[in-house]
Amino acid sequence: MNTLPSWLSFQATERHIDVAIRHKRLGIWQEKQWGELYREVLRLVHLLGEKGFTQGDTLFLLTNPRPEALLVSIAAHWLGGVSAPLDPHCDDVKILGLLRELQPVFVFAEGQMQIDLLLKINTKQRLVVYADARGLSRYDHEILRNYSDLKSNTLDGLNAPSSAKPSHDAFVFYRLDENDQVEVQKLTHSEMLSHGRQLINQETLTNKEEALAARNFAASGHMRYLLAPWLLAGFKLNFPENSDTRDIDRRELGPTLVAGTSQTYQRLENLVKSRLPLVGTARRTFVNWSLTTDINSSPVRKAIAYWLVIRPLRDVMGFSRTRVPLLVGEALPEDSLKFFASIGIQVRDWSDKVTEQNILAASPNQNSRHAALTETARVTE
Amino acid sequence: MTGRNFLLNLEHISLSFKGVKAVTDISFGVRESEICALIGPNGAGKSSLLNIINGVYQPDKGSITFDGKTRQAMKPHHAAEQGIARTFQNIALFKGMSVLDNVLTGRNLKVKSNWIEQLFNLGRAPGDAVFQRKKAEEIIEFLSIQAWRNSIVGNLPYGLQKRVELARALAAEPTLLLLDEPMAGMNNDEKYEMSRFILDTQREFGTTIVLIEHDISVVMSLAQHVVVLDYGKKIGDGTPDEVRINPEVIDAYLGLKH
Repeated sequence: MNTLPSWLSFQATERHIDVAIRHKRLGIWQEKQWGELYREVLRLVHLLGEKGFTQGDTLFLLTNPRPEALLVSIAAHWLGGVSAPLDPHCDDVKILGLLRELQPVFVFAEGQMQIDLLLKINTKQRLVVYADARGLSRYDHEILRNYSDLKSNTLDGLNAPSSAKPSHDAFVFYRLDENDQVEVQKLTHSEMLSHGRQLINQETLTNKEEALAARNFAASGHMRYLLAPWLLAGFKLNFPENSDTRDIDRRELGPTLVAGTSQTYQRLENLVKSRLPLVGTARRTFVNWSLTTDINSSPVRKAIAYWLVIRPLRDVMGFSRTRVPLLVGEALPEDSLKFFASIGIQVRDWSDKVTEQNILAASPNQNSRHAALTETARVTE
Repeated sequence: MTGRNFLLNLEHISLSFKGVKAVTDISFGVRESEICALIGPNGAGKSSLLNIINGVYQPDKGSITFDGKTRQAMKPHHAAEQGIARTFQNIALFKGMSVLDNVLTGRNLKVKSNWIEQLFNLGRAPGDAVFQRKKAEEIIEFLSIQAWRNSIVGNLPYGLQKRVELARALAAEPTLLLLDEPMAGMNNDEKYEMSRFILDTQREFGTTIVLIEHDISVVMSLAQHVVVLDYGKKIGDGTPDEVRINPEVIDAYLGLKH
C-alpha cells in the first residue's frame, strides 16, 4: 500500500464517516467525509477512463487550490496517470507558453478565464473538467464538462482497481525559469508518501489535525508535506473560499498545521506589523516589551505579554492554534523567523531540499512528448 | 417599435421640470436579455429617463410598456415588485452596515414570512432566513466580494462599493436592471472587472440591462443596443456599429454641434 489511491481507499474504509475535506462556500464550511470522497473519485475515474485517459497520461491542473482539483488528481493517479499542476498565479503569457509547449489533452480548469486560455492554444484536448460554471453557459464545446454534473452519475459498476504503482510519477511540475525555459520536476507516489511519513513522525501528526490548503498546488512541498500527510494520517484538509479570503478563513479556522511558503509568512508578518501602534508611542513600547519576553522572563511578564499582545497577534494571523508551522519552498529571512519566534511560532524549515536533484529526472512512464522534454533537459518555450 | 421581443418599450415619452424640457418625445424598445446603453453629453436626459422607467418621475406624456403591461405612471415600489432594480450615479448604500446586510436588503421583496413570524422566529421565518441568506451569498460569490462580506460598506474603496450596489440590485432577482453610471470614477482595471460582471449578469441570469455610461469604449464593447440622447431628444438608436457612424452622434460627441 504505497500509492495515493490506495491510501484513499484505506481511509475511506477506516474513517468512512469522518470529515476529510472542508471547503468554504457561500460563507459556510461545507464538509465531505472520506466515504463521499472515495465515491466521488470513483466517478471521476469512470469519466477519465471513458475519455481515454490511461496509464502514463497527464492531467493538467489550471486552478487555485480547491477540493475538486485534488480529487480529479487522485482519479488520474488511480488510472496510473500523472497530475501536473500549473501555477495559476503565473501571468497569462507564461501559462500560454507552457500550454503550447505541453499540448495538454486532459485538463482540470477552475473556470472561464482558464478555459479561455486553453481554447486559445487550439490543441486536441479530449476533456476539460471545470469547477466554476460562471460565464460558461454559452460555451458549447464538447470537451467541456461541469464538475458538479458528475455528482448525478451513478456508481453502479464503478469498482475499477487502481493501476497506480509506487514507482509511478504522481505529480509533475512544469515551470518557466528566468530564461523562459521549461523546468520539469517529478514526484513519485513512494517519494511523496515517504516524505509525508517523515513529517508525520517528526511532528507527531495525528488525525486530529486541521490543515489549511491556502496556497496553490504548484509547489512540490505542498504535495509532500500537506497532501501526503493528509492521506496518511487522515486529518481534515480545509480549503478557503478563494485566494482573497484565505487570511479571513485561516483566522476563522485556526489550523493546527500550516504549510506556508516564504511569501505567505512574510505577507502575514506585514499584515500584523501594519496593525501595530506607531513607533515611539507608549502602546508600541508596550508591544515591543511584550515581544521581547523570553524564557527567563518572570511569569507575570510572560502572562501579560501572552494575553495582551502575543495571543491577539496570533489570532489576527489565524495562528492561535497552530502547532506545526511548516515552511516549504524558499527560505524565510532571518528577521521574519525572529518575528514569528517572538510570538511563539517556531517556523519549521521543510524547504524544497530535493528540488534540485529531482528536476529533470527522467521517468519511464511519461508519454513521448514529456519524455522528450526531460531528455533534452531544457527546451525553449 | 412594438413587439413581443421587447421587454421594455417607451412611446413618445416627454418630461419637463417647470417648463424646462428634460426629455422630449423619446421612443425606443429594449429587447429581452439585451444590454442597452443610454449615452449622451451631460444634461442630455439620460438619468431622467432612467428615473421615468423605474417610477421616480412620472412622464408628462407618453407611455411605458414593461413585460406586456402598458402604463403611464408607476410608483418606484411597484416597479421593484414588477422586477425592475437599479443602482445610482451616487452610491446609495447603507454605509454603516456590512456588505452582507446591504445585499440582504435587496432580498426584502422576496421574504415570505411576516413580521410576527420573524419577531418570534416561528413558522416560515427560520427557513426563510436561511434561504434569503443563501441567495445573498450566491450573489456575493457571483460578484467575488466574499472577502468583504463582513466589512462595513463605508470603509470600502469606491470601486468595491459600486460592486456592492450591483450586488444589492441583483439580490432582488430583477428582470430589468437599470445601472446609472456603474463605472464612474473607476480605473481601467476596475472598469474591466465591472464590465465582466455586467456581461456575466446578462449571460448567466438572462437579465435585461439598461445602463448609462460615459466611457464610449466600454459602451461599444458591452452593449448590443445603443440609444443616444442630446438635449433631451433621441439622436441615435441602433447597434454600436450603426451608432458609431451616425453623423448626428459624431457631431454631438465631437462638439461640432455645440
